Amino acid sequence: MSASLSLRGVDKVYYPRGRSAVHAVKALSMDVEHGEIVALLGSSGCGKTSTLRMVAGFEDVSAGAIALADRRVERLAPAARNVAMAFEGYSLYPPLTVRENIAFALKRGRLSAGDVARRVQEVAALVEIESILDRYPNSISGGQQQRASLARALVRDAALYVLDEPMGQLEPQLRAVLRGRLKRLLKDRAMTSIFVTHDQTEANALADRIAVMEGGVLQQFAGQHELKERPANLYVATFIGEPPMNVFDASVVRDGDRTSFELDNGPSFGFGDNELGPEVRQAIGNRRKVVIGVRPHHVVLGNGCGETARIVSNQWLGDQSHVAMAVAGKLLVAVSHVRVRAAIGDTVPYGVRAQHLHIFDPDTTAALAHGARAA
Amino acid sequence: MAQIEIRNLHKSFKDDNILKGVSLGIDKGEIVTLFGPSGTGKTVLLRLIAGIYPPDAGTIGLRGRDAAGSPPDKRGIGMAFQNFALFPHMTARDNIASALTARKTKPGEIACKVEAVAQLLKIGHVLGHTPRELSNGQKQRTALARALVADPDILLLDDPLRNVDAKLRYEMRLELPALLKRAGSTVVYVTQDFKEAMALGDRVAVLLDGRIAQCDTPSRIYAEPASVGVARLFGDPTLNLVEVEPRMVDNAAEIQVGGATIRLPAGYAATAGGSYLLGLRPESLRLIDGPAPGAIAVDLVAVTPLNEKSVLLVTMQGGEELLASEAGERDVPRRTGPGHLAPDLDAVLLFERSSGRRFIPAESGGGGL
Repeated sequence: MSASLSLRGVDKVYYPRGRSAVHAVKALSMDVEHGEIVALLGSSGCGKTSTLRMVAGFEDVSAGAIALADRRVERLAPAARNVAMAFEGYSLYPPLTVRENIAFALKRGRLSAGDVARRVQEVAALVEIESILDRYPNSISGGQQQRASLARALVRDAALYVLDEPMGQLEPQLRAVLRGRLKRLLKDRAMTSIFVTHDQTEANALADRIAVMEGGVLQQFAGQHELKERPANLYVATFIGEPPMNVFDASVVRDGDRTSFELDNGPSFGFGDNELGPEVRQAIGNRRKVVIGVRPHHVVLGNGCGETARIVSNQWLGDQSHVAMAVAGKLLVAVSHVRVRAAIGDTVPYGVRAQHLHIFDPDTTAALAHGARAA
Repeated sequence: MAQIEIRNLHKSFKDDNILKGVSLGIDKGEIVTLFGPSGTGKTVLLRLIAGIYPPDAGTIGLRGRDAAGSPPDKRGIGMAFQNFALFPHMTARDNIASALTARKTKPGEIACKVEAVAQLLKIGHVLGHTPRELSNGQKQRTALARALVADPDILLLDDPLRNVDAKLRYEMRLELPALLKRAGSTVVYVTQDFKEAMALGDRVAVLLDGRIAQCDTPSRIYAEPASVGVARLFGDPTLNLVEVEPRMVDNAAEIQVGGATIRLPAGYAATAGGSYLLGLRPESLRLIDGPAPGAIAVDLVAVTPLNEKSVLLVTMQGGEELLASEAGERDVPRRTGPGHLAPDLDAVLLFERSSGRRFIPAESGGGGL
């Protein structure tokens, strides 16, 4: 099956007056499958919003091609692309009520008045704006405007749904419920969607696959489990996860059938060849220095673990404990869904298992191995 | 004697009653996080303590003395606010040192102290930069360093991690308490993030509708919220609320939830005949396959991962929605469809529908009221 949305070698260069050119998006190639939900995730200035605006048609591409349902669209006006969008700056029409704004998006279809009314009602219920359907955009809150704008995009039949921070302004209580409903709607109707967010919680909750961007470059494009369990490089590893991965510089020491990772001014984590398989040893090769990483949720606490460390902080968040330990002059963070009862200053046993170890090249920052497998 | 003793504080701006009788005592060396939704007056309260605004009524005691009439610079309070407020023409080093130069500290000593606090806050490498050359996170930490360097015995921090990127925010969240404890300061820390409030505070003071709705340890605030208003502010996702009317059946209070009959623990007998909101934390609801006594028949609508948990959106008979959550993302069935939710009865919360107050269950084994 061919991709629904396809970007090939897309570049975006801005030429701000009086300043040097800004290369916002660099040689971006990615495909979004039919019915797939894709998130563009990154910190501010990573190029995610420029990418979304090029897809929607609000920005020209500097180079490269964008195809939607096998049709080249990068030179087409936004309205000619068959794209439904909810953008922060793409506001509701002030002279129309919220109901009229949403219905207006259906105008060009050949729907009966009854069908239009029913669809507006359905989508309004989904985003909980039934009570404000007859109000004007200027008289409702920012969060309500955002939901109305989302409803206006979702009510349409389009080849692609393009959403810019779709829940950025909503209060947390509503957000959790809306995420579930929105995901169900998009999946049930196989609505191909691409959205921008800086919030990985949002990306994880909604997207089938997440494109992590930084410095205008696509770092990795994968499902959330893949991003967590097989991050392509140190950037992704330390960006994804709440809290993100613990990483330490380490020297590799080979002794008989054991490989040890000695942290500078810290402990040494040793593994036998039965734990650290041949694929991983091969990926390390002759390197003397690597970066090792372990996710906070995989740091094991309790008796029987190999190392000990002093607790620097222990925070209970109601449903999980975040524990920080002093290791090699840095913090090693562990997360447990069972409450950890240890006081600051206590020395506690902890351990890292070979199956949860991530190994990176310190020079290129690229991943070498994850668990038992080479990257 | 409390280090900060706030009694019945009122403050309005024109017709806007922001604070309507705030009382709060904070002990020496204690970290209290001041938490509440935006617009509840957290920053206003901080500014009253600092002496930037005078209160309309009520008193603020600092170190055992009434602070009324004492100007901000005489209160001996260190402050770091959200909007940085750094001197634009000075380097980060000079900005931090400015808190000491005014006090005639020796130059060598100043340099040492600035260096030490900068190391702790991980801005040692940018001390020579002016604010314009610093990222928002660095500016915020520079402002924090300036507040900390003078070793104030009272420190007011207004959402200092707000603009810091996620990775650094986690680090700072873990390191700040130790840092503040080492300095020995009494700290009031304003935040809008319940996780930050729980993580950093010895106690969390919840400001709601112009009053302190509850001030307690993080774990008690979460497990024993004073009211439904407080309970709703904690948890990710937040707790489910279902209207119930407990009835006495065979010496125990029973409630109907989505067609299921749930027998409440013995301590809830006195709720029979009343109108309540049942609060169910998502993590106290477990999805099981078959029916079981007290389990609610549901339709699983969607499963969304959330921070190493899975959030299950379900509908009960009648269409009412509930959120449940489970630890781990892998082991949860991905398929949607019918299932049953078993609530953990030890974690049940009941709130009076009229007042919103939590019903405090009688101690089991007698002795309760």
